[in-house]
Amino acid sequence: MDPLLYVLDLIVYIGIFGIVALSLNLEFGFAGLANFGKVAFFLIGAYTYALLSQTGLPFYLCLIAGALISAIFGLLISLPALRLRADYLAIVVLAFGEILRLIVKSEDWIAGGDWGVTVSPAISLMGASHRVDALVNIGLVYFCLFICFLVVQLLANSPYGRAMRAIREDEVAAEALGKDRAKYKAQAFMLGSAIAGVAGGLYAQYLQCVLPGMFMPMVTFTVWIMVLLGGPANNWGVLLGAGLVELFDRGANMAKDYLILPIDPSSLQYILFGALIIFVLLYRPQGLLKESRIKTKAIELARYGRSATKNKGS
Amino acid sequence: MERPLLEIREVSKHFGGVYAVNGVSLDVKQGGICGLVGPNGSGKTTLFNTILGLYRPDQGNIYFNSSCISNLAPHQIYALGLVNAFQLPRLFLQMSVLDNMLVAARGHQGDRLLNSLFLRRKWQEQEKGLIQEALDILELVELDKWAFSPASELSGGQRKLLEVARGLMAKPTLLLLDEPAAGINPVLGRSIFQKLKDFSHNGTTFFIVEHRLEILFEFASWVYVMDKGRTVAAGQPQVIIDDPAFYQVYLGEE
Ligand SMILES: Nc1ncnc2c1ncn2[C@@H]1O[C@H](COP(=O)(O)OP(=O)(O)OP(=O)(O)O)[C@@H](O)[C@H]1O
Ligand SMILES: [Mg+2]
Repeated sequence: MDPLLYVLDLIVYIGIFGIVALSLNLEFGFAGLANFGKVAFFLIGAYTYALLSQTGLPFYLCLIAGALISAIFGLLISLPALRLRADYLAIVVLAFGEILRLIVKSEDWIAGGDWGVTVSPAISLMGASHRVDALVNIGLVYFCLFICFLVVQLLANSPYGRAMRAIREDEVAAEALGKDRAKYKAQAFMLGSAIAGVAGGLYAQYLQCVLPGMFMPMVTFTVWIMVLLGGPANNWGVLLGAGLVELFDRGANMAKDYLILPIDPSSLQYILFGALIIFVLLYRPQGLLKESRIKTKAIELARYGRSATKNKGS
Repeated sequence: MERPLLEIREVSKHFGGVYAVNGVSLDVKQGGICGLVGPNGSGKTTLFNTILGLYRPDQGNIYFNSSCISNLAPHQIYALGLVNAFQLPRLFLQMSVLDNMLVAARGHQGDRLLNSLFLRRKWQEQEKGLIQEALDILELVELDKWAFSPASELSGGQRKLLEVARGLMAKPTLLLLDEPAAGINPVLGRSIFQKLKDFSHNGTTFFIVEHRLEILFEFASWVYVMDKGRTVAAGQPQVIIDDPAFYQVYLGEE
């Protein structure tokens, strides 16, 4: 296989999963919501994209529609689920993801069931090589990543993000200080789902198909590892996590061809993932990068002003 | 005649078989400091949590500024101007001391999702003023030097002070304080009460639970005594001190 193409493909994957990791970071890192059904919203974005692109709608509208529909589902499921205790929320959304996958798998009329449907690429240049195609995808994916990063980063460093973090730290105290926790949680869930929906659309058009098998629960757990490894509540951290986990995944996949193992080699990377996550939680529970503090212009000003006067005094 | 700021009418709250609050009625008038004392387990904190909307009363009603708040959610009660500082501080430990204060700020434009993204200039400007207010309040409780440190680095006494400061930051009409001077040295404790008294001239009324009776009685204009979920005595501090019911409660405890 063309090694350059392999690298370009890796970069696209890191971008797509970086977007999903950002969405989980918004929900879990900042708002403290344990979304174990992330793949559901990734799936909704992908299938929406696939079905709408067949009608000839331009690709950016398909992406936006995927985000909107995913957001609506996010809101609908969060309304009842957020009233539950955190661990029940996790179970409800986990089950939701599996149910959706089983529906698209068994209901052929939706999108071809097990066989899936093919999706045309968002931007196709006449006679372009695979490498050029990959480069075009990198441009598209990283443009979307940039927008999503900007939104999550701006929110994290705003009074809204401060309220979300407060709810994560102590929701009773936050509520007693005027923060309507149900509203904040539903919004975080909705926004996180929209972002995951965008990533799903990008994934569908990059692979040029949607298949139920692309949306196994393992996708959710992989994204969790990215966030926990990189550092929850740090947007750079979760991107770093996405990069490392993708590299690790590829590495383990390649190693399988060279190693002789007493176990089924196809599950090797899952075993390694399990070991990795235990290692991270034991030895670096805050992740590689620690939580980024809230930076607003006013806070930086107050802080900078102080340290400047302190320096003068000393 | 004007109605009291806070009216509690026959409020009961029980946990299983324990009647933590049992048919309490009391009024807190506008202005100054009103005290609530009683031995451990007499139901003071439970009463506060019920006022705040953290517990729903099993019986009775609570009126604040003449409107019934018994069925409101805590954030709605905050919006009406009733705020609380917890007995065991409930700080946002991963956040800085200043951010803890800013969470409590009333009417911050950037608290809303769309505003936070699209009205950035507006809330940034507002935040400058709020930070100044927060630093002024932190100075009152001698925490201004820690403004940019994480709240997790504060000592137990300092956490207590931040809990009180955060309550003040919310510009409440009525602030409930659950043992503000606990775990703080007596000199600072007294000076905090003095500052609260000064603060009350800005239109904040205080309703304070405090075990340090000598400090509370110096500053409070009215005191309620609770025992086993009931109010057993009420009056001005100088009168309460001589009330046999008050004596009984405190001697009976030993
Ligand atoms: N969440 C709860 N579940 C069960 N019982 C409770 C709960 N909260 C309080 N109680 C009980 O209710 C009674 C009153 O407790 P409360 O904390 O209100 O007393 P207090 O007057 O604040 O005491 P202290 O001076 O020690 O703070 C106690 O018997 C306590 O054990
Ligand atoms: Mg108490």
